[in-house]
Amino acid sequence: MNSATAPKSSKLTAATAGFVLAAAITVLFNTALAWAKDASAPLTDFMTSLTGHHWTTHGAADLLVFAGLGILFTKSGIAEKMDSNRLIGALIGAVVIAALGLALWFAFV
Amino acid sequence: MNISVSDVVLLAHAAFGVTGCLAALWVFVETINAQPGNATRIRTAALVTAVCMAAAWICGGYWYVQFYPPEKVLILKGPWPFAHNLFMETKEHLFFITGILAFLLPVATREQLSSNAAARKVVLSVAALVVVTGLVVEGAGAVINHGVKIALLRGDSKAQ
Repeated sequence: MNSATAPKSSKLTAATAGFVLAAAITVLFNTALAWAKDASAPLTDFMTSLTGHHWTTHGAADLLVFAGLGILFTKSGIAEKMDSNRLIGALIGAVVIAALGLALWFAFV
Repeated sequence: MNISVSDVVLLAHAAFGVTGCLAALWVFVETINAQPGNATRIRTAALVTAVCMAAAWICGGYWYVQFYPPEKVLILKGPWPFAHNLFMETKEHLFFITGILAFLLPVATREQLSSNAAARKVVLSVAALVVVTGLVVEGAGAVINHGVKIALLRGDSKAQ
């Protein structure tokens, strides 16, 4: 790595930290909403009534949560104060839990 | 030759997904050796990842809503109902995770990666997660496709 002349840093900007935290929360929200839809026909019907298909509404909700939380965490600087290794660990952990949560739910519930 | 809109949209969905995975792999490899000189390439590859995954999302969503219902009926009546009950149900929601991670990549690559170890870790982690979840989604698509195929083949063999 040729960075001998560049100033070293180990801190994330507010935007990166904010959107990493937002992504971690969004992937967990995504799995929780999938569980809720599968368990509740009225919720699925309501989400279908909003856009014509529950999957479309689900995707739009995920994007809104990700963008909304990302902007909120960036402006507030909350995530920027967190340790970067903990943020990365939270994201990886959230993705593993969310993915396994989906597969196990649809395999056994 | 008879190529329907359904065929084009479905194949475009898979092609954009694979291209997005390859672009994320490109981000990963360039970031291992991050220097001021390859910062533009990393940001370009991250943008390609996000655009491809957005295109895969739109194509896949359109196909799922417009064309999948009759195939779902076939799968559920066939010998592999789990191709829908487990693989499609998981895939259609797991893909959102891949998409969100792909949209995170262009944000994270705005950092000065050559001089920021924490930012490099973020980009490497997110790019790797896009590749792994993207390949799982691609594999699930193959199982779903096979579920339809064997439902049709075994249905035909019963009729003969």
